[in-house]
Amino acid sequence: MTDTEKTMTTILVVDDDNTFRTMLQEMLSKEGFRVLGAASGTQALTLLESHSPDLIMTDILMPDGDGIELINALNQRNSPIPIIAMSGGRRSISLEFNLESAELMGVKATLPKPFTRESLRRVLEETLHP
Amino acid sequence: MPPSSSTDMHESADLDSDDDITARYTRLLLQAVLTDDPLTTEQALTDAAALGREMVSRELPLEEVSEIHHAALVALAQAHPELTLATVADKVTAPLMEAYMAYSLAFREQLEHRTQAILSARLDQLRRLEAIGTLASGVAHEFNNILGSIIGFSELLTDEVQPDSSGARYLGHILKSSFKARDLTTRLLDFARSMPEILEPVNVVPVVGETIELLRATLPVHIRLVMDEGPGQAWVMAEHSQIQQIVMNLCINAADAIQGRAGMIRVGIDTLPRTSDQPGPIVRLSVTDNGEGMTPEIQARIFDPFFTTKPPGRGTGLGLSVIHGLVTSLGGTITLESTSGAGTRFSIDLPALGGHTPGPGHTAPPKDLSP
Repeated sequence: MTDTEKTMTTILVVDDDNTFRTMLQEMLSKEGFRVLGAASGTQALTLLESHSPDLIMTDILMPDGDGIELINALNQRNSPIPIIAMSGGRRSISLEFNLESAELMGVKATLPKPFTRESLRRVLEETLHP
Repeated sequence: MPPSSSTDMHESADLDSDDDITARYTRLLLQAVLTDDPLTTEQALTDAAALGREMVSRELPLEEVSEIHHAALVALAQAHPELTLATVADKVTAPLMEAYMAYSLAFREQLEHRTQAILSARLDQLRRLEAIGTLASGVAHEFNNILGSIIGFSELLTDEVQPDSSGARYLGHILKSSFKARDLTTRLLDFARSMPEILEPVNVVPVVGETIELLRATLPVHIRLVMDEGPGQAWVMAEHSQIQQIVMNLCINAADAIQGRAGMIRVGIDTLPRTSDQPGPIVRLSVTDNGEGMTPEIQARIFDPFFTTKPPGRGTGLGLSVIHGLVTSLGGTITLESTSGAGTRFSIDLPALGGHTPGPGHTAPPKDLSP
């Protein structure tokens, strides 16, 4: 992926954890991408009314409009924007939604937290240039 | 080795062994057969009932019970060759029935009690494990988010410091420690994942069939227990033993409602589609009897804990309240229709598998995730 391609690419980061979101936005812009941020699925949907990012990276469990709702809403409207789902949780015995749920709903890739810059680069490359 | 006289048998009666039971049973038959005194006959009946209950408390296997009966008859024939078969049969029937009734009653109660004890112990253990698993996975989840920030910012900071500087070394240590912490949360999550799930998909058709077979062996012969024609499969989220417990409890109650008369218990399984009242398809399990039925007053209290219509010693009254709680925990409902003097029908509606999303408190994996 060339630097020009990156500056032409806008990524929307959705995460309720402000520290993590700040970190990821920082990391992505240092990689050369254009970045948008939202603190919930609901906020992300509002942002999508006026912006059209090329990729969405969303956390799964958020108190106000979670990632699953966001993915579902985008699926409903046949959104072509690829999604990478992120989560610190894994499949557990509880009923919580998780990365597997996101996979079932057809996201492009999943990224378990915590991840290194190296893993992030690999997943971005695979998602944007399959 | 059958004793040759009632005196010998009396001496051996204090021994705490199965031989003792055989001896007492033989003595009892002798008493019943040889006496013309109504009081002695009465005593034999009381003893027979006590013996029947004792056989259950000693956990004698069923086949041993018939061996004891056989040994006693042989002993009787040897001690009194002059007795005709007709005399023996005539005299023996009453105490035999008494022992048998007490035996089957006690056997049923023990079975019910044991099923309950095993079930609640297993559920308690599973719930504890589940709570530990949930806690572990929740903590690991939060830590992974925090570690995500620490690792990410450390990597970003690495770009800002001179390579080979002390700062770069310190950041190396921070990252190394963070990766160790990540390995730890992975182990926690693996542990949480290994916890057993309480609910699993259960096809109720074979489970109900097996339970009915088990019940047939213990219910009195004058009660017919039949399973209605139904679907070959009916899947719900439950524990195998919960379905067993529901069927067992309802059938035993039905048998008690029939009392001494000849009667019939029908068990049915139906799968019903979603309706306007019902958000998803359901599996309906019904137990119908033609017993004494219930008055509206009794119907109103039937699910209250400790409410019972059975005489003391016959039931705690917990059965139906436990079933009610169990059905509710499975996301189902239990209803009854009853006419005093005509019989009762209990219907249990459980959400059919695949047609519903389990509510909170369930430990099933989420269903219907497809958009």
